[in-house]
Amino acid sequence: DEILRSLAGPPSLPGQDPHGWRVPVDCVRANELCAAEPSCSSRYRQCLAGRDRNTMLANKECQAALEVLQESPLYDCRCKRGMKKELQCLQIYWSIHLGLTEGEEFYEASPYEPVTSRLSDIFRLASIFSGMDPATNSKSNHCLDAAKACNLNDNCKRLRSGYISTCSREISATEHCTCSYEDKEKPNCLDLRNACRTDHLCRSRLADFHTNCQASFQSLTSCPGDNYQACLGSYAGLIGFDMTPNYVDASPTSITISPWCSCKGSGNLEEECEKFLRDFTENPCLRNAIQAFGNGTDVNLSPKNPSPPITLPPKTEKSPALPDDINDSNTMYDTSVITTCTSVQEHGSKLNKSKEQSLCYSETQLTTDIMPDQKTFV
Amino acid sequence: AAFGLYFPRKEYLENVYMDQPAGTPLLRIHALRDSHGEAAHFHLCQNLIISRARSHENHWFQIREKTGLLYLSKSLDREDFNMLSVGNWMPLSKVMLYVFLSSHPFQEKECDSATRTTVFLSLINATAPACSSLTARQLCFTEMDLSFHIKENKPPGTFHQLQLPSVHHLCQNLSISYKLLAAEGMPFRYNENTTGVSVTQRLDREERERYELIAKCTVREGFREMQVEVPFLVNVLDEDDSPPFLPNGTDTADAVVEFNRKEGTVLATLTVYDADTTPIYPLESSRRKYTGTIITDDPWISETFRVEHIFEEIHFSPNGSQVRGTQHEYKLVLNKSISVTEHRSFQLDVLVNDTEFHGPERSVMLHFNVSILPVSIQFPNMTYQFTVNRNAERFAQIGKICIENCMKFRGVNITYKLLPSNVSCYPVSILQGREGKWGSLYVNDSSVLRNPECKEILYTIQATDKQSRKHAKTLLYIVLEGTLLKKEEDCPDSCAVSKHHAECEECGGLGVLTGRCQWRQGSGKGITTNYSTCTPSIKTCPDGTCDVIESKDPAVCPQDCTSGNIIGGHGKGIGNLGIKSGHGICYCFPRQNCYCEKDDIKEQLCDDVCKTVI
Repeated sequence: DEILRSLAGPPSLPGQDPHGWRVPVDCVRANELCAAEPSCSSRYRQCLAGRDRNTMLANKECQAALEVLQESPLYDCRCKRGMKKELQCLQIYWSIHLGLTEGEEFYEASPYEPVTSRLSDIFRLASIFSGMDPATNSKSNHCLDAAKACNLNDNCKRLRSGYISTCSREISATEHCTCSYEDKEKPNCLDLRNACRTDHLCRSRLADFHTNCQASFQSLTSCPGDNYQACLGSYAGLIGFDMTPNYVDASPTSITISPWCSCKGSGNLEEECEKFLRDFTENPCLRNAIQAFGNGTDVNLSPKNPSPPITLPPKTEKSPALPDDINDSNTMYDTSVITTCTSVQEHGSKLNKSKEQSLCYSETQLTTDIMPDQKTFV
Repeated sequence: AAFGLYFPRKEYLENVYMDQPAGTPLLRIHALRDSHGEAAHFHLCQNLIISRARSHENHWFQIREKTGLLYLSKSLDREDFNMLSVGNWMPLSKVMLYVFLSSHPFQEKECDSATRTTVFLSLINATAPACSSLTARQLCFTEMDLSFHIKENKPPGTFHQLQLPSVHHLCQNLSISYKLLAAEGMPFRYNENTTGVSVTQRLDREERERYELIAKCTVREGFREMQVEVPFLVNVLDEDDSPPFLPNGTDTADAVVEFNRKEGTVLATLTVYDADTTPIYPLESSRRKYTGTIITDDPWISETFRVEHIFEEIHFSPNGSQVRGTQHEYKLVLNKSISVTEHRSFQLDVLVNDTEFHGPERSVMLHFNVSILPVSIQFPNMTYQFTVNRNAERFAQIGKICIENCMKFRGVNITYKLLPSNVSCYPVSILQGREGKWGSLYVNDSSVLRNPECKEILYTIQATDKQSRKHAKTLLYIVLEGTLLKKEEDCPDSCAVSKHHAECEECGGLGVLTGRCQWRQGSGKGITTNYSTCTPSIKTCPDGTCDVIESKDPAVCPQDCTSGNIIGGHGKGIGNLGIKSGHGICYCFPRQNCYCEKDDIKEQLCDDVCKTVI
């Protein structure tokens, strides 16, 4: 986890708030401030223990305690990724918020501050490599370049080899340490989510993932606030916990990500389970963010002047080896075609959830249908 | 159940704009019934939840108790917006409301009914858009998937209204019409007048658990016509309405206890099917719902056996469409290790009970025919004879001693002991192998081997079962052979130190059988398990396990046992012990480092072509 924390970049810059709200103090500091004030006691937390929101509010004393809390810095406090005493901060956060959720919320709000900073430079290096000139670098292996870049950096190299040597240790003949991802059995995803929610760190990282990678129809990129960095950061933040995600196979063309779980045995909660799993396996925000990171286009992205959304490439089962001069899926789509029809542009990223048949319908059908064929002719 | 009203979906979503007038309808919520005659009453909890910890008293939203229509009772102005936006970190502000459901009129401030649904209202920081600026998708549907759940075996009823009350209110000039595209014979009906969708009959999940329809919306605006289609999904929720049954009628299995007598051994398994689903989460509650109990008065049986229940989802295809069901497995397991002397046969019955099924066939009886056979502790009908070279060194492995069927035993712990009969010649000892199955003979005192007076040595071996104290004896002859070799000077203690073929075979070392170390020539390709190395005996070292004799002294076989550093290309063995694979030749200095390196550079530095070029 130490590695990931260091890879996920420095904590966000203080004082920056994209939405103009007051920047809250972190919960460790808020707790100190609260302890110094006699009125801001721990009464509220005693109220919360073992109660849900409504039973708590029924109690007059607890309601008064909540009112006091609303005025205290604890109320809006957040934590920072990789901060000192991160676990303590999260413990304070959840001690206040846990009872209010009643544990059945599908998505929980992230206890972390919003990401405003870029990922660290080490992390970036690989995509800079590949992003400079796609034509000359098309034969290079981006992952090897990234490994090379890491090995040339003392810090990255040390932490990387530390993780690898721990993870590749064989404990006994029956207990292989395929380490962080695979296990003997695939648990049910809701069961895994429950296990994750009993752990403050895992719960926070999952909530952060849901906050930053939740597919949104309101943005061109499908990501909340068009912020790829935030999504990638919280995706990487899940690695090392029960909910560790990974690529499900080595397919170079389709990116499918999943935690080690399935929806088998969900009973009446199958719909909920599949919805949970789809946020990993069929999440256009996450997929676009990963593809954009690979292209090096994610840093250029700003909400005001967005690059065209990356529509998922058409399925090309028959062409395992792409011709060298096709560098990525972006170039297959002529952006001028998409911009002629705003409604399609808006809904193009909706992953077939809806099919809009308007005047532009035939035109886009044509483009997406023709492209796979063109590809094989190149 | 007395109170069986329920919501067909968990969440609702709608947009709210600034300065929308009071009275604007927002969305329609439906409830489905458990029995005829039930009437739904809707109630709004007067708490707006803004972010996790923050909430606010609701001044703006109300619901019609009888129809479930949520509407604005007071317009939201800029000040209200600012207040409700505090604490929202996302660019889009959302507030959350709980809607409760009851079959009787609500009392004041009732806010804790178990049946509730969540309404999310997105606060859009702008006035309501002009209808002409909305896309067909926005005019027809909300962003939320049209996905519903309906309980099986419940009366029909209306569960959704396709028309969006807010849009209908806002864009009265537009013509928006809907259609529900469903295959022939689907139990759903669309009412064009109300745009309501209803289920027309009781559903049976065991027949079909998922219906996929398409909701089609047509927007007409002058000459322009736009159509939008979205999936409309209905999941049928399961209840326990099927009894357990036996596949092929099999309710009996044989369970034989013979060589494997260890606690935890699975003796036999019987399978029970159920067409109902069983959630594996939470696991313990599902286990409690589907029980398997040993029926017996005999305390010995209930102490000695237990039943383990595992279940998994399987698929049935009743009429072509796949539905999920459950396969329950009941395993008869030994609860403790059974003594080798135990001998009995009996029938053990296990009662399987589907506790939530309300019917006469809720249980099935499973039968296990248990036979516990005694096993005898005896040696094969022969005496052991091993030949030992007089040049063998300490820790040389001579052979294995094993009672009959010893390799099949589990849960039986045998101790092997040598009873010396000739005190002056006592060169060998015995060590217990893993799991108490066999004994390993090795040279303990090599000076005795060199003694010309010792030729044939006779021992008695005794094998004892720890639990029952049953034992068996046999004779062991050790015959000494070979002539004494002259000891080389400057030879190391350990074969593993030698780095070259020649020096390896010139020397002896701890564990050698004939006075000389043996060279193992590897394949020489990359990092391989078949690396080149010098060993006391190729048969036992390196073989990937650090056995009991090798672990007596680190000089015997560091290739299997080292826990020190390995320098060079290598892979470590199980538990970080030994060299599992290495590059080139691996050699070790006991209690110090091991090295794996490729030192036999056989290619010429410059071949003929090279020479010509130069």
